[in-house]
Amino acid sequence: MRRAAAVWAGKATGALSRISRIGGGTTLPGDVARAIDPDVLRKLSRDLAQGAIVITGTNGKTTTARLISWLLEGAGYSVVSNRAGANLIFGATAAALERAGANGRLQADWGVFEIDEASLERAVDEIQPRATIVLNLFRDQLDRYGELETIAKRIESALTRLPAESRAVLNADDPRVAEIGMNLKSNPLWFGLDDISVAARELPHAADARTCPRCGASLLFDAVYVGHDGVYRCPNGDFVRPAPELAATNIELNGFDSLAMDVSGVRIELPLGGLYNAYNALAAFATGTALGLDGAFIANRFRSFRAAFGRQERLEAKGRRLNLVLSKNPAGFNETLRTAIDLAGGHFFLIGLNDRRADGTDVSWIWDVDFEHLRGRARVVVPAGNRAEDLAVRLKYAEVDAMPPESNPGRALDAVIEATPEGDTAHVLCTYTAMLDLRAELVRRGWAKSYWET
Amino acid sequence: MKFSVGWLYPDLMNIYGDRGNILTLLKRAEWRGYEARLIELGRGTTKGMDEVDIFFFGGGQDREQALVYEDLLEHKLPPLERAVAAGARVLAVCGGYQLLGHYYQTAEGERFPGIGLIDVRTRAGNRRFIGDVIVDADLTDIEPTTLVGFENHSGRTFLGPKASPLGRVRAGFGNNGEDHTEGCLQGGVLGTYLHGSLLPKNPHLADHLIRAALRRRGITDLATLDDSTEIAAHEKILARSRR
Repeated sequence: MRRAAAVWAGKATGALSRISRIGGGTTLPGDVARAIDPDVLRKLSRDLAQGAIVITGTNGKTTTARLISWLLEGAGYSVVSNRAGANLIFGATAAALERAGANGRLQADWGVFEIDEASLERAVDEIQPRATIVLNLFRDQLDRYGELETIAKRIESALTRLPAESRAVLNADDPRVAEIGMNLKSNPLWFGLDDISVAARELPHAADARTCPRCGASLLFDAVYVGHDGVYRCPNGDFVRPAPELAATNIELNGFDSLAMDVSGVRIELPLGGLYNAYNALAAFATGTALGLDGAFIANRFRSFRAAFGRQERLEAKGRRLNLVLSKNPAGFNETLRTAIDLAGGHFFLIGLNDRRADGTDVSWIWDVDFEHLRGRARVVVPAGNRAEDLAVRLKYAEVDAMPPESNPGRALDAVIEATPEGDTAHVLCTYTAMLDLRAELVRRGWAKSYWET
Repeated sequence: MKFSVGWLYPDLMNIYGDRGNILTLLKRAEWRGYEARLIELGRGTTKGMDEVDIFFFGGGQDREQALVYEDLLEHKLPPLERAVAAGARVLAVCGGYQLLGHYYQTAEGERFPGIGLIDVRTRAGNRRFIGDVIVDADLTDIEPTTLVGFENHSGRTFLGPKASPLGRVRAGFGNNGEDHTEGCLQGGVLGTYLHGSLLPKNPHLADHLIRAALRRRGITDLATLDDSTEIAAHEKILARSRR
């Protein structure tokens, strides 16, 4: 009874929130329902005919979750998932509520939930997933999450408490994720990249997991792919990258447009760009095969995939193309800069930095981003967001010629559109709420759909 | 004219975006026509320490701090003391600040020794101090006299008689949340909890350090730079706290 009351109250809140246009009702229903029945997510999760999958890690959660949902839906299953980055326990609860029927039961085959690193312990405990994917662990919003070590220990504790039949799908290339996996009793399913041609020569400044967890020696990297993810070993032989069961080879990167790679004898083509998306696709592929999906089916299904809100969206504005890419921490930012400049040949940029709670209230991290990469390559950079002034200082010390800071989203948009020649592309790289602000402006001008419609 | 910045453990003590301090020191020297260079001082090396004008020591995670402590005592302390005695400056932030003091005492009462270069002691607090900080600095040669930054620490640092505070907090918690002090100054060492990074938004403090370090080379005044971009970011924090 309590569960039915919780479900109904949550659903009513969701409807009200959408009607009143307060943020598309993505998490508030979860708060309400959990207040009435704290066990509502545990109960709803048990209704799932096939089970649930949980995705965590610093970067790539949303895209990977969407890829997995896309695969499962293509295989004929009904899937419930938390959309639009609502990845705290309330967001997962809200998603389950939305699909619960009049009897308070959840009617779906699979639950696919992206879960914030800090909420993972509780979420895994309630959802009891059949597979948990850990994508990577990078420094991110230290004011909110605490240090990497704290997060890593929480993830390990969450995975340790899972039943033996639940599978951990882990990135072998991330030293801190690998350390977690080696401490588990059951064997993880490891995935990783094996293609030296897409590797960087050295670790970026913001690399975190650099030392051997056993002896403390600095790890040697034979390849660096994204952040500190790569092929590494301890010089004393105390720690080495686990051999990936699913390895991507022959990787081909085509700007923000697409990527291709070989996995388990199958050629995968995905309409998403950037090396970080190779990891996301590989994680989804690994999970799909672990659940019994056929490799050729997965490859076929990936070809028609579409990106999530602001993750990599393309819009038209006054004859210019806008390429929206969420960029919210040093590892993610370095990769989007690298993709925009080296692979997509970008010249025009709007960079948005906000310091609201969802972005992280400390903006120190911009000094860990290699904005120097823009120097001599970008023709126009508009620093935007409510901390545009800090961004302007960062760009000055990177000796990047930038326009004056512009905190107003509309005026920042005008500035970059005006400076971008017709037919050319402006790359819009923003933190989470800076992207929301900018997108609201784009919706207001009729250039984009509201995000809960995407 | 050479100007050298020595970065202590750039690979391990770099967690809070403190690289901005390094970039600011180097660029501000370069823009004035000095030959600026960075000397990276990782574990096991002391090469170039005698030439360093300003040392930077940032914060790290506990795991990394434990690794650097031994190296600091074994390799870095003697040349560091020599350099400071000869007029070099040290900027230490957060974890680096704590490690230069006498000790860090955990909530359970266990004491992790520091290297005792400055007269400060730190003990763990039960709440983390997180947020913007505005400091009225006790330095006489800076204009404006405010410093702005972001703090994120659970350590409570108390100054002994040989150390004096960098300034008083107008907003935020500072050293310990009790005595309104922030940071410390002692014999060429400036310790502070301010991230942000600190120096990019406080170019006047960066110049204070550069000027102090170059005094031994006969430099008494620095060429003026256009700091309007930096000061706009500084003012933004001041304006927010007034709201």
